[in-house]
Amino acid sequence: MTENTIKTVRIQSIIDECVGVKTITFNSFNAKTPKPGQFVMIWVPGVDEIPMSLSDFDENGNWAITVKDVGDCTNTIHNLEVGDFIGVRGPLGNYFKLPNNGSKNIILVGGGLGNAALKYLATKLNASKIAFQFINAIKDESKAIFVEDFLNFNLSQSDINLCVEFDDAKIGGSSVKKFYNSKFKGRAPKRLESLINEYTKNEISNIMVYACGPEKMIYKIFQICERYDIELQASLERIMRCGCGLCGLCSIDPLGLLVCKDGPVFRSKDLRKMEDLGKYRRDFTGKKITIK
Amino acid sequence: MLEINLAGLKLKSPIILASGILGVSYSSMKRVIDSGAGAVTTKSIGPIPRKGYKNPSIIEIYPGTFMNAVGLGNPGIENFVSEIKEIKNHNIPLIVSVFGETNEIYCEVATKAEKAGADAIEVNISCPHAEVSSIGIDKDLTNELIKFLKETISIPLFVKLNPNVTNIEEIAIAAENGGANGVVAINTVAALKIDTNTKRPILSHGSGGLSGKAIHPIAVKKVYDLYKVLKIPIIGCGGIDSWADVVEFFLAGATAVQIGTALYNGAEIISEINKGIINYLKENKFKSIKDIKGLSHQFKTQKVPDFD
Repeated sequence: MTENTIKTVRIQSIIDECVGVKTITFNSFNAKTPKPGQFVMIWVPGVDEIPMSLSDFDENGNWAITVKDVGDCTNTIHNLEVGDFIGVRGPLGNYFKLPNNGSKNIILVGGGLGNAALKYLATKLNASKIAFQFINAIKDESKAIFVEDFLNFNLSQSDINLCVEFDDAKIGGSSVKKFYNSKFKGRAPKRLESLINEYTKNEISNIMVYACGPEKMIYKIFQICERYDIELQASLERIMRCGCGLCGLCSIDPLGLLVCKDGPVFRSKDLRKMEDLGKYRRDFTGKKITIK
Repeated sequence: MLEINLAGLKLKSPIILASGILGVSYSSMKRVIDSGAGAVTTKSIGPIPRKGYKNPSIIEIYPGTFMNAVGLGNPGIENFVSEIKEIKNHNIPLIVSVFGETNEIYCEVATKAEKAGADAIEVNISCPHAEVSSIGIDKDLTNELIKFLKETISIPLFVKLNPNVTNIEEIAIAAENGGANGVVAINTVAALKIDTNTKRPILSHGSGGLSGKAIHPIAVKKVYDLYKVLKIPIIGCGGIDSWADVVEFFLAGATAVQIGTALYNGAEIISEINKGIINYLKENKFKSIKDIKGLSHQFKTQKVPDFD
């Protein structure tokens, strides 16, 4: 058994995060311990196999993935029940590098389901008593995920920002926003910039940003970080077959960096050299297409 | 020490990237060259974009041994021309692997690849999990296809052989008689993996092709057998992940080799292998890798078992 071998495991629990988003947990025994930022290939027997970020992992070997119902495969996952089999390969790829100590000003920026990979990172930081700020960017408050988990964090040391693109009048007065220390109406990059400006010049040079979400968002986050000379670790997503450096579908021009093997987490020095960042990806045939 | 001449192609190393691995973008192929490969072979390209089989399509079975059924997914020659041109801008020796439903379509794709700048064509007649395998299991069809291509294509033609046949020699000879400039031995070995929990074949296509560690001895035997009957160069392919695997192919009679599956360890493995071969040649007092070609054939092997 290696991390590229498919192991079938039974679904242990299913958590409804919000409408259209579920977290599935399973116990992947005999596998290596995953680190925040790593991903798995999830096989839904008879349907497809897709890359997914790990949203959680505990010391008992319980893994979690958080799945949005967007297509055939994810729809089938949403209809699975506790006890059903899914196949898992992983953990795959590299991971977010944690700061050596608490001296960094850490900002996590998650867009939509990109919050899944960052949630596992946030859980690690919280357990290590490292303070951080988390921009949890969503379209509207009905899409808020991991509310319960964030509630369990030590929020006196950290700051969870809910960043909503649209205020949802119907849900605006719900319990959701009470769980967050602050709410910002607007998109994640704008919130990041306003947050950066709350720091002094010296403090800014000590900021480390971790980002995961739609690539257009990541590209904007990257531009802001470059402007302020801030180190960024961004998790990218591509279509892939193998997940282990063979098929080449996740290759990024011009260096041929592979999201599955060199990534999914890339640092500023690599992001700077990517012509494709925020612009192009490859489809399942290998053809280069525009990122919308 | 490692330079070779393969049907007129001058390569700095005998190690060529095998088709199907990282061969969709110029950038990942350039990375393989920068790691020390002598040439690259693209993913098999057909006339139009093709998704191929769904996932799971590539999985590891044992450490270093993989199974795949990609089903010739590729962007189509029209979309791929820009990648070919970009590779040639970087002066990389390029072999374009082609396939088609008919001899005419094979020829159309190969012609476009040649025009775009390919240095050689690899004719894929052997993908074990797609329809083109039917050509590679028939000596007459193979001979006709290669003859047909030779009328139009002027760059070298290498024919990738299917190991899933009773007599690989007769198909290789048919390719040679058709005018092939070399053969690649071997494509993947037909295989199946079933998950015991769900009781179903894991790959979306069901069966697939085995590659990597487990098929190296199979490939060495095919190269050894083919060396006895062919005049054209043999490119050994299957399960290389160390210098010794390359040396074995050469001793069996290969003129060059292809590496694929082992790149899951990173393309950097190629420079390690190059170094290992040089060390072997020095220790054994050979000036060039060409000097060890076919050396295992000097030894008589036992034809009839001893009795008593």
